[in-house]
Amino acid sequence: MGALRYIIALWVSKSARIAMRILGKNATYLPGKIALKLCPDFLRRVGKPPKIVAVTGTNGKTTSSNLLGDVLKLEGRRVLGNRLGSNVPAGVASCLLMGVNPLGRSRFDIAVLEIDERSAHKILPQLQPDLMVITNLFRDSIMRNAHPEYIATFLEKAIPNGTKLLLNADDLLSARTKQENPRVYFGIERMETDVIECVNLINDMRLCPECGAELQYDYRRYHHIGRAHCPECDFASPQYDYAASKIDCAAMTMTVLDKLGAGEYTLMSDSVFNIYNELTAITALRELGFAHEKIAARLRECGIVESRFNRESVGNIDVVMQMSKDKNALAGSRVFDYVAGLPGEKELILMMNCLHDQKHWSENVCWLYDCDFEFLARDNIRRIVATGPRAKDYTLRLLLAGVPEERVRCVPNEIDAPDALDYAPETDVYIFYGTDAIDLAYRVRDKTKSLAAQAIAGVTE
Amino acid sequence: MKIELLYPELATLYGDPMNMNFLLRAIPDAEVIRTRHGTQPAFVNGDVEFVYIGSMTEALQITAMQSLLPYKSELERYIDSNKIFLATGNALELFGERIVDTDGAETAMLGLFPTVAKRDMLNRFNGLFLGKLESENLDIVGFKSQFAHSYGSADALFTATRGAGLNPEARVEGLRRNNFMATYVLGPLLVLNPPFAKYLLKLLGRGDAELPYESAAMDSYELRLREFSDPKTGFDY
Repeated sequence: MGALRYIIALWVSKSARIAMRILGKNATYLPGKIALKLCPDFLRRVGKPPKIVAVTGTNGKTTSSNLLGDVLKLEGRRVLGNRLGSNVPAGVASCLLMGVNPLGRSRFDIAVLEIDERSAHKILPQLQPDLMVITNLFRDSIMRNAHPEYIATFLEKAIPNGTKLLLNADDLLSARTKQENPRVYFGIERMETDVIECVNLINDMRLCPECGAELQYDYRRYHHIGRAHCPECDFASPQYDYAASKIDCAAMTMTVLDKLGAGEYTLMSDSVFNIYNELTAITALRELGFAHEKIAARLRECGIVESRFNRESVGNIDVVMQMSKDKNALAGSRVFDYVAGLPGEKELILMMNCLHDQKHWSENVCWLYDCDFEFLARDNIRRIVATGPRAKDYTLRLLLAGVPEERVRCVPNEIDAPDALDYAPETDVYIFYGTDAIDLAYRVRDKTKSLAAQAIAGVTE
Repeated sequence: MKIELLYPELATLYGDPMNMNFLLRAIPDAEVIRTRHGTQPAFVNGDVEFVYIGSMTEALQITAMQSLLPYKSELERYIDSNKIFLATGNALELFGERIVDTDGAETAMLGLFPTVAKRDMLNRFNGLFLGKLESENLDIVGFKSQFAHSYGSADALFTATRGAGLNPEARVEGLRRNNFMATYVLGPLLVLNPPFAKYLLKLLGRGDAELPYESAAMDSYELRLREFSDPKTGFDY
């Protein structure tokens, strides 16, 4: 009976996929939803490539899995991936469906699948990945993910016993996942910018998970990312199997050392979170048997997806689109820290409002008080325009973060926000936007560019 | 004046720590005592005017409860002396009788109130809250995001106008005895409700103190109150 359900599900969902493709749709969700509806264990039954790499975690899973898939494709592998679709069960089912012939046999050499950490228990037991990458665990949506310890319990139950884990040794929240499983650890050795005390509001690894004593950090990169040990028992961060060192953001180079030797790599980005993404992909590729030189050469041909960070110049004014996932304090903290630390004078527009929530309810703004708006109080940020339905909440948060009142503008209508900026020469304008306001953000960007061009023309005249 | 932050290394979630950051800026001369778990709370000696505890993980609820249990009678004396205690989010559950999970597992809590929290870790409840502090006729706005609801008969802190009370069927929200106040409303409750923050300052004898950026806080509060009072605004996510 189960086999018959599977065959019906396969053909019906394949037909749905073909019909959607004829209509010009991506077909990255609905066919999988149909398949799972008709056959709840479709993910277990459907044909899969001989090798499966699953990538999950709070941040970096899209960038890491895209890099990994790109290198594998450049190396001539037939790579199945869900980069165009969703990472929940229906998206993964759609992806696997796309990868099989009408008899249900896979046409690919390897699958690189991004997995939503909150949905892992519905996917991983049926998928049985060979390698499982966990990039990190941080706070995400308060409403969906609660706190990282909660997500860790999902992963603990969801990851199959035999799956080899690729874990971030600098993240003690995820590094302890499934301790009986085979594993390797990656991490970045001490950097010049590391500190000891936490300067962030979110600091979710304060206590020893073995004895409850307060952990002592040997160094800390941000939040709980770093290396720590317990002064009361023998608990400590795990040793690196893949260690990134000699990070040189001026020369854009780093070295990755493992038990078989060292590789020299070009940094794809100077932001620490993207260095972690690159190291994650390198670790997975090394585990898949690729040589350092080959990986380094292929990574130089790849790029980090630009939809999250896009810089355009209008004369001597740069307009930068910086995505910051809405309702995600960690994402905000990381991009605020990064942007505030860049050289030069800046003007900002904050429009990470969750418009979907606002349409039906009212956005839960608790995350604003987990997010380090304090980074925006630096003197190189001359003006901040808070805009959108929650403009007043952003304004209050900025003031409480120590941003001087004269630098804050509250403009409820997003399209009016660019009018409140000062387009001085040699200024960078940053537009921080969320995932469900992309079209609106690009309209704001276009107006910003237009006003910047007018300002430059005025100066020239 | 001494203000005690109870277990700040445990109670770190959902923006709750900003509550006391906000309030303390209005009374900069207050002495802040940060009491770590496993150590004796300052309220035991009776010279504290205000104790605060916020949201934490479910595992750390047990750590916090075990840390407080040896001082249960002192805590009751503190409450009976009319001094102020505020608990937000799931810290409320520490003061009920027990937490019961869907698999039947029970965890005993302090038992200061005759309430039982029923918890379902696979289904998180999310919603908005609009209510009243009846004694002062204050409107309260806020957010709920929790795995448990509490059941039982106890005096309430707020009356729910819209949204869930102590549980989805209850019109009463939170727990109150004298000036002990606990609410499931989580996050920066005082920042989002400057009139309630002023009420607490009044209880502290500092009714004339000005809140930080009070005008901006009131702007934000009044907008949210209008949104939450709008019948078209959905309340349960």
